[in-house]
Amino acid sequence: MTPSAAPSLTVAPVFDLERVLGSIDRMAAQRPVAAQVVAETNSDRASAKELSRLLGADVALAGRVMKLANSAFYGMRGRVTSLQFAVTVVGFGTVRTMATVALTDLDDESLLPEDFWEVSTTLALAASTLAPRFAERPQDALCLGLLAQMGVALLHHNDPDGYAELWSTHRSAVARRTAEVHRYGISALRLTSVALEQWGFPAGMLVPLKQVDDDASFSGALLRSAFEVTGRLTDGDHEETPIERVSCGQLRERDVAPVLAQVRTDAEELRAALLG
Amino acid sequence: MSARTRAVGEPQASPEIVAAVFHGVSVSDAVAVLVIEQVGGVFRVGWSNERVATLLGYGPADLHAVAVEQLLPSLGGGELKLLLRRERTVHMTLPVRCASGALLDCVVSAVPVPPPAGRRWTLRVASTANETERALRATADASERRFATLTERSPVPTLLSEQGMRLAHVNDAFCALVGTQAEQLLGTGWLDAVHPDDLETVVEQAIAVLEGGDREAQARLVRQDGTERSTVIRFAHVFTPGAGAGFIGTIEDITDRLAFEARLAHQANHDPLTGLPNRTLLAEHVAERFRPGAGGLACIFLDLDNFKVVNDSLGHTVGDALLVEVAQRLRSTVRPGDLVARFGGDEFVVVCQQVSEDGAVALAERIGEALHRPLTLSGVELHPRASVGVTVQTAEHSAAEELIRDCDIAMYQAKAAGKGRITVLDSEARAQARDKLRLVADLREAIGRRELTLMYQPIFSTADGSAVTVESLARWQHPERGAIPPSTFVPLAEESGLVSALGSLVLDETCRQLAEWDRRLGSRAPQRANVNVSALQLDVNLHGHVQAALQRHGLPASRLSIEITESALMKDPASARAVLLQLRELGVQVSIDDFGTGYSSLAYLRHLPVDCLKVDRSFVAELADGHPEITTAVIALARSLGLDTVAEGVETREQADELARLGATYLQGFSLAAPLSGEDAAVWFADTATATPGAVRHPDLELT
Repeated sequence: MTPSAAPSLTVAPVFDLERVLGSIDRMAAQRPVAAQVVAETNSDRASAKELSRLLGADVALAGRVMKLANSAFYGMRGRVTSLQFAVTVVGFGTVRTMATVALTDLDDESLLPEDFWEVSTTLALAASTLAPRFAERPQDALCLGLLAQMGVALLHHNDPDGYAELWSTHRSAVARRTAEVHRYGISALRLTSVALEQWGFPAGMLVPLKQVDDDASFSGALLRSAFEVTGRLTDGDHEETPIERVSCGQLRERDVAPVLAQVRTDAEELRAALLG
Repeated sequence: MSARTRAVGEPQASPEIVAAVFHGVSVSDAVAVLVIEQVGGVFRVGWSNERVATLLGYGPADLHAVAVEQLLPSLGGGELKLLLRRERTVHMTLPVRCASGALLDCVVSAVPVPPPAGRRWTLRVASTANETERALRATADASERRFATLTERSPVPTLLSEQGMRLAHVNDAFCALVGTQAEQLLGTGWLDAVHPDDLETVVEQAIAVLEGGDREAQARLVRQDGTERSTVIRFAHVFTPGAGAGFIGTIEDITDRLAFEARLAHQANHDPLTGLPNRTLLAEHVAERFRPGAGGLACIFLDLDNFKVVNDSLGHTVGDALLVEVAQRLRSTVRPGDLVARFGGDEFVVVCQQVSEDGAVALAERIGEALHRPLTLSGVELHPRASVGVTVQTAEHSAAEELIRDCDIAMYQAKAAGKGRITVLDSEARAQARDKLRLVADLREAIGRRELTLMYQPIFSTADGSAVTVESLARWQHPERGAIPPSTFVPLAEESGLVSALGSLVLDETCRQLAEWDRRLGSRAPQRANVNVSALQLDVNLHGHVQAALQRHGLPASRLSIEITESALMKDPASARAVLLQLRELGVQVSIDDFGTGYSSLAYLRHLPVDCLKVDRSFVAELADGHPEITTAVIALARSLGLDTVAEGVETREQADELARLGATYLQGFSLAAPLSGEDAAVWFADTATATPGAVRHPDLELT
């Protein structure tokens, strides 16, 4: 990590971080089935049968998984009729992601900053689409992209007005993170990684979150590139950063154009499938 | 569960127990533990056991001098708070700095020590991977890289889905096959490259594979440039532990193979000369469209008139050119959707749907006009004509082949009625044709059961009036229709391939009867029996059949005479002569039946191995009208060639006397002796011989 690039916690926080971190535990208690699903999917012994059995206890969550499996995003054309098959279609990582979304009330857009899901789905699809360029699995990248902004939601829950203002004032990812650290003592991305680590998500998924601000870190390059693509797609005032730089040389500008078109098309589809 | 919560429910440990636990931890070589304390806002190592010092390479005292932020460099900038929480245990995977400066990935668990101990945390440090795990991971990574390289460089187009229908990877070969960049194919983008009509099949098979097993689907892929490739996509189930179900798809481009097969199929179903569908495809076409009772299907059967003349006079090349031109004219005359097929030779069939009988006839007329337009081939102007048979499907048609058969019949009727005509097979004609078919079936059965009977008509010698010979005459008594005359059933047998069986039956039965008469009548039995042979029997097999029949019943060849019509002989005189010679060598006599009605070449007659001429009954009848010229000439001719004669159809004494006077050798006629059954003939010959011993005579005729 490059110290100069990383936002710092040393700035005096105006916010009780301990309380935010404590809320992560409370969320799990409020949605025990979703928490169980998260725990089960983090196990090496996870099976579709067991996962679908667990999911069956949370009708709303099970319904969302079924809906997602049958969405155009997975190309299954409404042929997924069993929950167990739905789990195999969308993948365990996605089930875990959806359970996490449910845990953190991310599925309630009224509790989120404006355009939160537009940014999240765009980020997820950009990461998923670019993943092969970074020798990463698209599905894992999709999940990472969907959850990366969970910290945003946590901060917004705890400080709706303050965070909404921060969100609308600072449009670029880097500027937002700096402002977040300034206001809360921690960036939303870092908060995401803490929460995911607390819920037992695999370490490999957390590394990009921790290293996204280190331009020299290859592990953070995919997520960094996905943020850049997302900025270009969702923010009219986005100031472009050369893609070669944020991607550690893995991408060139000419690679980005086809990605933009595809991500734009799929993002709305994914959002509709996830949130209904 | 927090450390504080845990402490509340537990009994207070004695100082001895605490000391024992502390000692165990301090000297443990399994657990690396250190204690962090916050003093004056600064975090420092307050205590560490031997294991953590060993793990990180520090001396026992050195660790206490290291700043915690330095020990855990990723938690700089105040992030230590994230690990060192006041109310809960936190697990983090972190790099921990060793004494050498190297970073060791560890799982660090921070347990807050409950008050009143102040702000202290116990940290358990464990390296994330041991050597075995690293080796296993390296092996797995190497294996995955090998697989990736193999797939990437494989010339076989390959898809890899890790979850559902979403592709995680496509190789260069697949990108080249569909002419699209990988980015556009990943996710569900590859489904856009599948032809819309085949998408359902592909998705169905892929979904089945996601649930386990292997499947394949034949599908067209649409390239970026719009061209299509026909492929077989073979799907294999892939399960990634902890992730879910996906598939590997390998694609075989079968475009060229299909094109080759299509060419072969086309060749199998089409006439190479005209390019028209052949008889096989015609049958399939009609069968596919035929719905019993539906109607609306019509067949037009065309047979070119005088095509053989063109072939024989102008050569086969010109004949072929004519067929090609006819095919072209037919194609351009019929309606869109009508099928034009070459049935064989110079025969063509047009199949139309949704057409009335009038419509079909109108089309047949248009075709006739189109064909009749002049064309010049090899400098000769031709005006092709065809005999055309038309059939429109009716409720009576129960099978597709009946429709083609009926229009074939109609064409033959048109041909028979005079060339260049159109005949519609009406219900009466169809009924007649079917009736004929039934009769053929009955005849086949009757022959098989030997239900045909033989009658024997005596033939008298003019020398002494004795009955010396009989002619075998086949009779068929149909169980429902009554007697069927030979003039009906013999041509029927000839048309339907039954003539050989019929001939064998007559030959065998005649020989059997002769043998029986011999046993019963001895010397009074007929000296010889005449058996009629069809032109179609006049082949190399006849000699063998005759010889076998004679041997079967123990008769000498001289007891048999074969009668063959003049017209049959003249169909192929050379081969007829060869067959007759074989019979003559066997010792069988040969007679020419109905002599004078055909157009025999007298030169041929001289060279044919013949023993007897039978004067046709029409000439004999002329005697009564005062015209003995032909009969006289035939008898004189026979005599000059050294042949016997049999006058047929002798009806009166005057005729008999006149024929004897003219020199006829034998007489045969209904009034002399009617055909008799085998039994009646036995009685007749016995009685006649008894009545006039030495000169067997017909009771009603006095021959001189």
